[in-house]
Amino acid sequence: MPTTRLARPLAALAALAALAGLILVAGCERPVGCTGEYCGTIVIASGGEPDILLPPVSEFSITRDVTDQLFLKLADLGPSGNTIGDEDFQPQLAERWEWDAPTTLVFHLDPRARWQDGQAVTAADVAFTYDAYTDSLVNSSFRSSLRHIAAVTTRDSLTVVFRFRQRYPEMFYDAVYHLRILPAHLLREIPRNQWRSAALGRAPVGDGPYRFVAWKAGESIELAADSTFFLGRPHLRRVIWRFTPDQQVAVTQVIAGDADAVEVLVSPDNVQRARADTNLATYPYKGSAYGYVGFNLAMPGDTTKPHPLFGDRDLRRALVMGTDRERLLRNVFGEFAKVPPGPLSQLWWIWDPEIRELPYDSGQAARLLTRTGWTDSDGDGIRDKDGHPLAFRLLLPTTSAIRRQYARLLQEQFRIAGVDVQLDEVDFSLFNERARAGRFDALLNVWNTDPTPSSGFPQTWTPAGFGRSNYGHYDNPDVDRLVDQAVASAANRDQARRAWRAAVETLNRDAPGIFLFATANVAAVHKRIVGVTIRPDSWLALLRTWRIPPDRLTDRDRVER
Amino acid sequence: MAAWLVRRLAASIAIVWAVATLTFFVIHLARGSPFLPEQSQHTDLATLDRLRREWGLDRPLPEQYVLYLRNLVRGDLGESFGLRRPVADALADAIPHTFTLAFAALLIDFAVGLALGIYQAVRERGVGDIVLGNAALFVNSMPTFWLGLVLLLVFAQRLHWFPVGGPSDPVLCPRVDSLPCLLDFAWHLTLPALTLGLVGAAGTARYQRAAMLEVIRQDYVRTARAKGLRERRVLLVHALRNALLPFITLVGLTFPFLLTGAVLVEWVYAWPGMGRLAVTAILQRDYYVVTGAALVTSAMVVLGNLIADVLYAVADPRIRVRGA
Repeated sequence: MPTTRLARPLAALAALAALAGLILVAGCERPVGCTGEYCGTIVIASGGEPDILLPPVSEFSITRDVTDQLFLKLADLGPSGNTIGDEDFQPQLAERWEWDAPTTLVFHLDPRARWQDGQAVTAADVAFTYDAYTDSLVNSSFRSSLRHIAAVTTRDSLTVVFRFRQRYPEMFYDAVYHLRILPAHLLREIPRNQWRSAALGRAPVGDGPYRFVAWKAGESIELAADSTFFLGRPHLRRVIWRFTPDQQVAVTQVIAGDADAVEVLVSPDNVQRARADTNLATYPYKGSAYGYVGFNLAMPGDTTKPHPLFGDRDLRRALVMGTDRERLLRNVFGEFAKVPPGPLSQLWWIWDPEIRELPYDSGQAARLLTRTGWTDSDGDGIRDKDGHPLAFRLLLPTTSAIRRQYARLLQEQFRIAGVDVQLDEVDFSLFNERARAGRFDALLNVWNTDPTPSSGFPQTWTPAGFGRSNYGHYDNPDVDRLVDQAVASAANRDQARRAWRAAVETLNRDAPGIFLFATANVAAVHKRIVGVTIRPDSWLALLRTWRIPPDRLTDRDRVER
Repeated sequence: MAAWLVRRLAASIAIVWAVATLTFFVIHLARGSPFLPEQSQHTDLATLDRLRREWGLDRPLPEQYVLYLRNLVRGDLGESFGLRRPVADALADAIPHTFTLAFAALLIDFAVGLALGIYQAVRERGVGDIVLGNAALFVNSMPTFWLGLVLLLVFAQRLHWFPVGGPSDPVLCPRVDSLPCLLDFAWHLTLPALTLGLVGAAGTARYQRAAMLEVIRQDYVRTARAKGLRERRVLLVHALRNALLPFITLVGLTFPFLLTGAVLVEWVYAWPGMGRLAVTAILQRDYYVVTGAALVTSAMVVLGNLIADVLYAVADPRIRVRGA
């Protein structure tokens, strides 16, 4: 009976179609009431999830993205990104400020500022915040950035005074950039060593343009616009972060249309895919990261002795000169990165392609290796000296596709130069631990930097970073002196720039690492969202001004829940 | 039966304890620090030491283990280093997602597997049997994550029939509190459940085909046919009922597969279940989350097998449990 045989599958198909129809109808049944300028909803796909929404106790950039919508600073970087002086900064909590003395900075808070539970934001909140950020029990990663501030005191309920230990070009930046002002009345009673798991960190009360709505662990965080926000009502009324296991999945969600925006498209392929998508607009912006091969100048396990290979400056210089960094970069990043002229991110104002560095010259590199005794005496293709092959292990994290790609290309380039490189691919936790403990020959590392070199550079390339971020134990007193001069003593931007340039050139001559790439990012945002301005140091810093014109609103933007 | 059940329960508890103990020591002995997540840039060695002291990780491992067991008995699974919250809370958020996924996959596994197995048995050595048999073998040979990626690429990214990940639409359905949102949830669940269920179904089909073939050659089936019963009634009532008995055992065996398979499927589909939680915790050396997840998973597997054994004993009167 063919008819009967066909009837059942057809009935099943009809049932499936009915189910699909029901889903569609159900989706359309939502009330779509909101109209006008303030109705937009943005879904941001993220490759990670915050650990806690309390700014001083988290280092995650995703935490910063969310909490920047919840907690205000006294002032924030302006569009120029200039961190020197105070002229390019824009008011946030502080409506104005003045210098009472060369080392005394007075902020006047905006009297309209309110915590979202109705309490006024006061100078006491600012003093409390400074105290918390510098408390070892809270262990904020920004503590060292506040070391030049001697005290923060209140003059009255809306006036707060910062006193510095010395005068230097980035005093104002240090006072405002890292401190997200916290509600003292909600945090004072919580012991500082318990902040890392405080309930307020999972349902924060802020004073920013958005207020917290919900956090579904592993899924999403939702914020809603504070329509009474004193600096102006945000245009997008709802911001939702969708969490995915990694950045590639986040990119996939945006390209598939399940989310509206992603911070970084990660690879040239993804950028092409996003550009081909008629719904997406791409936004290139300067990256804050640089990647490099760092040589361990100290013996692994005993930092008092030099590394048997990389204690030799000539060998390091030969390896730097033997690396074709431009070719590596084109292979991995295409046009979306630059070879840095030192340990610099493109975000830093001291970025200068004219900074002198060791050239790519494989001939000179080979001659230098031969001159220092590294020859291929046994004809196996690997240079050797005193019976020891020129071989080392390169430490890198398995979770970074970019670094794994670089490692393999480097391995091949070095092999041609007669250097045997074995890869130590480990997970991130172990990578971090071994890097800090100095248990490596060389490592492939990436630093995400602040907008200024003043904190990151000394921590990674001077003895101030021993046991912290100066993994390779690089130490040159000339560099230290020049960095000190640039950070603390320079009277103006030009003088500081000259000191920075001299420091970087001195460091380049020592070749403590091979500086491979400085990223340039590309974000993708749905085209219905306009007014998208991305500040490179914090891509959502200006989210409050993004908007969806009323004629571009979709039902999802208008839906009421 | 009661004595047997008590013995099985005791053995189950011992197995769960052994798994938790093994996991505790293995993850603690693995190198790497729980205080150095990927984005940790400037944590210094002194701070690491202080954190280790604060969390009691500087104590001898046996002492930490005894403390862990003591807390466990009180129902305290510890606190997550990375999530900054109690492990029990994190697991409570994740377990329903994993259970839902595993249950949906189980339904697909058995529905598709049974149907295919019966069809193949009835058409033994026919074209349908051969084609489906090879197709089932092909699917069964596929790594779960690979099938997941293929389905994701085809049905989500290319055809846009399904979402690429997550358990629900965060804009329209922040909570599953209405029929439309329930349907939205089912829509999001489809691809992950299919990924997990289809691989299992391929195995189930082969198992069921063999069981069915064995039964339909029995005398009582032949007798039923000789009595003039309709073929459908012979197969679905007389043969299938008996061919389903070994199937109960399969339920117990399938459950661990679904839970372990869910680890990768949850990662691929950004499904916020226990698998994804455990993988992240392993990478971050979040000791108590890893141990807690292993504890819960092993408890579920042991319980699943226990239930299957009990059902088998109850369903088949020929089976006499020794000591019952």
